[in-house]
Amino acid sequence: MQTSLEHSHLTEDAKLEAFLARIDRDEKIEADDWMPDDYRSQLIKLISMHGISEIMGAFPEKEWVPKAPTLRRKLAIMAKVQDEMGHGQLLLRVAEDLIAPLGKTREDLMLDLFAGRLKFHNVFHMETPTWADAGVIGWLVDGAAIITQTMSLDTSYAPYARALQRICAEEKFHAQHGESIVLDLAEGTEEQRQMLQEAITRWWPSLMMFFGPPENGNITSNQASNMRYKIRTQTNEELRQIFLKKYLPRIFHLGFTVPDETIHFDEAEDKWVYQQPDWEEFKQIIKGKGPRSAHRLHLREMSYEETKWVRDAILSYGRQVG
Amino acid sequence: MNGMSNQTNAENNNFSVYEVFSQKTVSASFVHQFSLLAPNAEVALSMARENFLRREPCFNLWVVKRDDILGLAPEERPFLERLDNKSYRETRGYGDLQGRWRHHKEEFEAKHNTGSGS
Repeated sequence: MQTSLEHSHLTEDAKLEAFLARIDRDEKIEADDWMPDDYRSQLIKLISMHGISEIMGAFPEKEWVPKAPTLRRKLAIMAKVQDEMGHGQLLLRVAEDLIAPLGKTREDLMLDLFAGRLKFHNVFHMETPTWADAGVIGWLVDGAAIITQTMSLDTSYAPYARALQRICAEEKFHAQHGESIVLDLAEGTEEQRQMLQEAITRWWPSLMMFFGPPENGNITSNQASNMRYKIRTQTNEELRQIFLKKYLPRIFHLGFTVPDETIHFDEAEDKWVYQQPDWEEFKQIIKGKGPRSAHRLHLREMSYEETKWVRDAILSYGRQVG
Repeated sequence: MNGMSNQTNAENNNFSVYEVFSQKTVSASFVHQFSLLAPNAEVALSMARENFLRREPCFNLWVVKRDDILGLAPEERPFLERLDNKSYRETRGYGDLQGRWRHHKEEFEAKHNTGSGS
């Protein structure tokens, strides 16, 4: 889009002050508005990570497309994989408009991913050895994602909020798709129940890591600045508590357990008390050292390389027809 | 000019941002959906279906190159806010009419001794 005025001639300090006043008034920021450099860089970090995670998030489940137990399940999981790629497209578009003034494009984001500079969510580095894992991803991983994304619907950056409105609507289908798989298994044979219990046990540490380390009263400068700018409104631990309150009772209602003997609800504090996962392991996983990190990155890179001729052909055709 | 799309990377040079609009039914207005990155309008149109219309009903679809849209700069947008002295343009500027009609009807009925509906 073209617009027809140069930015007004204010000093940087005055611009920052006016920007913060807009944030305080709960106004939303658009891509072509003036914004402080660290607001832009926080958004780029968050949204490119989110976008790439949607794309890498399609890999664990795509493994189950050929092996889904019925045709209906196959169609549903294919639709979900397609949705995730679509969400990636939306979010990368939002990220592109933010990196454009820095002279960067989607190409750079992809190369950052391959070089390990751009991280993706810890859960998508993990294995999905059984059909129950596909169910648990939809039920609990998408369930966790809905909690983060619902918070982010209020984000101060308007293009991100608009993308999330579309995404949240579809995530609800994903969660129901997962619940449907999980309930079938939970209501099934002993063998099916055991498969589901094993998947829950396997995914539990990853789910506890999902929202990031707890603050323990020390909010990191990243989180503090994201909250000052109203990019996010809740802390990692607040989000994790929402997740535990919603999902732990359901796990117990189905007669399943989580691999944490100390876990209990503290009525006075109104929160779940749980065993911390291994945060050092978390760091290693998102660095690309999870059990499936290298394999999935390799698949992504291969698909990027192998489709290059298609992109080249379309571009060459575009040039010919003008 | 405050252009929003400055593609600089060589390989991406020929991809453009397209804005997508869709119309739910024949009697509905076109609504902006989102944007996408495509090498040409034809590909943009088919990507628009894949990206935005996997579930929603749709009657018609447009894609428009973002560079071909002229919009307001952020500094100009506040001037869109309307001054609150334009009631003569709106129905709320004529809220007294019903009461006055009622008054005339009641006066007429009192004078001619007729109840309503008779």
